[in-house]
Amino acid sequence: MAENDQSEVLVQHIAEHQNRLYGYIFSMLGDHVRAADVLQETNLVLWRKKQEFRSGEPFLPWAFSIARFQVLAHVRDRGRDRCLLDTELVELIAEETQKQAERFEELRQALRGCMATLSPQHREMVRARYFRSCSIDELARSQRKQASAVKVALLRIRRRLAECIERKLTESA
Amino acid sequence: MNPEIESLESLLEQWSDRDLPAVDVAELREMLRKDAKLRARFVSWQMLGAALSMESEAWSAGMTESGLAKPLLAREKAWVGAGWKSLFAIAVSLAFVAIAGRWAYLEARTESIVSQPGIVNSGPAAIEEPTSRGIAMVTRLVNADWEQHQSSSIGVGEALEPGTLKLRSGYAQVEFFCGASVILEGPAELELLSSTAAKFHSGRLRAQVPPAARGFQIDVDGMKVIDLGTEFGLSVSAVGSDVQVFDGEVKVQPDAVTSQLVRAGQSFSQKDGVINRMTIAQDEYTDLAMLDEQARDQNSERLKRWQDFSQRLRQDKRLIAYYALDQPERWQRTLQNSAEATSDDLDGAIVGAKRVAGRWPGKGALELKQPGDRVRVNIPGEFRSLTFACWVRIDSLDRWYNSLFLTDNYQRGEPHWQILDTGQLFFSVRVSQQQGGQEHRVVLSPPFWNPTLSGKWLHLVTTYDVDAKTTTHYLNGRQLIAESIPLHQLVETTRIGMASIGNWSMPTRPDSDFAIRNLNGRIDEFAIFSAALSAEEVAEMYESGKP
Repeated sequence: MAENDQSEVLVQHIAEHQNRLYGYIFSMLGDHVRAADVLQETNLVLWRKKQEFRSGEPFLPWAFSIARFQVLAHVRDRGRDRCLLDTELVELIAEETQKQAERFEELRQALRGCMATLSPQHREMVRARYFRSCSIDELARSQRKQASAVKVALLRIRRRLAECIERKLTESA
Repeated sequence: MNPEIESLESLLEQWSDRDLPAVDVAELREMLRKDAKLRARFVSWQMLGAALSMESEAWSAGMTESGLAKPLLAREKAWVGAGWKSLFAIAVSLAFVAIAGRWAYLEARTESIVSQPGIVNSGPAAIEEPTSRGIAMVTRLVNADWEQHQSSSIGVGEALEPGTLKLRSGYAQVEFFCGASVILEGPAELELLSSTAAKFHSGRLRAQVPPAARGFQIDVDGMKVIDLGTEFGLSVSAVGSDVQVFDGEVKVQPDAVTSQLVRAGQSFSQKDGVINRMTIAQDEYTDLAMLDEQARDQNSERLKRWQDFSQRLRQDKRLIAYYALDQPERWQRTLQNSAEATSDDLDGAIVGAKRVAGRWPGKGALELKQPGDRVRVNIPGEFRSLTFACWVRIDSLDRWYNSLFLTDNYQRGEPHWQILDTGQLFFSVRVSQQQGGQEHRVVLSPPFWNPTLSGKWLHLVTTYDVDAKTTTHYLNGRQLIAESIPLHQLVETTRIGMASIGNWSMPTRPDSDFAIRNLNGRIDEFAIFSAALSAEEVAEMYESGKP
């Protein structure tokens, strides 16, 4: 029974922190499909290593370190050429990534508020680009603009979103 | 703005399109290695990317802007609130996906990106906030026959926008969002103006207006009929218009200046400008109680029609398995196979799922709610073409994959039939064992489901036609999409073996892991054929079985 309780606590932790773990892994891989894949592997390892986890101890640092190993394994398996970062860089950014991933839910909350401040046109661009994964070229074609112009516009919108989010996060910190 | 940051962000934006040259990747890494500030910036950029990518999941799951947090919250709550067993199941299944199910997870995610263009075009519909616009709602139909152009669009539960309803015959109960409810008796023509007003052009109607909806107004033949909390009937025909008040009182304004009260038991008619007040002789308008009785008649008539059809269907030699769900025993945990040409061995085992009411009172269905709910079947043999058909009521699409029918494994020749969280019907037959490359051909329908269809019975059919090399999806008897299968992705021999209806599982594995792909809804008829049904046959199935 004690073991069941332990498992239950762990499962609740895993469930509760899925998004933060996803944010952490995505940041290192920069790709949704791969990140989702590595997240599933991380969940598996967390579950397998449940003996190592003692309730009462903070879950997140433990989970992040396991996620980091999974990312490293992924980068090694896939070959550094197909990934954005190499293993050295993954280690280099690990601390900063963990720090930011802990506030991932706040960030998501802020993002929703900030999306609302965009003009409808810009919001549509964000949706097309980041929600529907349109490439810059596709966007340029549909808007009858130069790809370079679309890219500049996207960078600007994204920067505005980033600034707005940063403001909100500082306010709430 | 720091030029280094600018160039970092520009490189990253390009990276997401997969066309960043290796030399730029190297440069980007070099920049990051040198500068801690830039690394922090990089992480922020990526976090935003992760958040945006999650938002898109929420969007495509059909969430509204204000309700964005809901699906996640609800999901978390369900996880935390569920009993230990299902929590365990979730964790294990998450884990399970990683090992055996990794390709399975990728089976659509990667493919669906490939086939994205089709979806992107229809994107706005899928991605925009789903709103249930409307001013009124159809709550009941009895033998209703709409004018041609409306026939496919108006069903029970349908939200109605301003516009004209043309009913040829039968009855339609329309409830205005203000609370007034109207029974239309065909032939009739009613123009919905707002949630509190309508214009009646012809036919007969009976309105019931509870106190909360007082002020409900109907324009008839140039006069205004304003309800003061009551029940009244209206008829408009070539011989004039007639208002009869059964209960309460009604204010009638024949023109802009005059206004008259008509009380219970009185009628008020107008013909060629001549007004005539009388006492009602007889209540000749259909009221709710009468409609209810007729609805019951219609129900049993429809049920009977389906039963006749279903009896004929059982003799169809092409049936592999047919679960009609017409056993009355609620405790029965065996799902009877009613296909006459096949054996009892094809009976299914109900796991978790509850027996509930189906399309009609007196007709059974299975309700799938919990992550473990499913029907287990074992269908041996080899087939060529296949058809899957079912009547399903989807409450919501909670999972990335919402199962209709999945074989336990996913080996060569095995079919997977499911619905994506985007509301698209998904069908694939596995081609090869190798990972990567052309594992299978996924045929996705355009999104057909959105939350406004929640709780409605739908007829879904998918045919896999080896000879015509085509996969076709149908919704309610109509083709959603037909796609040809390239020769190298065509599997001529199909197999089923151990499989689940409404979920995905590999319970034969010793550790009993399973992925959560359970359907959230009800299934009340399920058939598998060893042939591709024709479009006419699919339409007939729908017509003979529609509730």
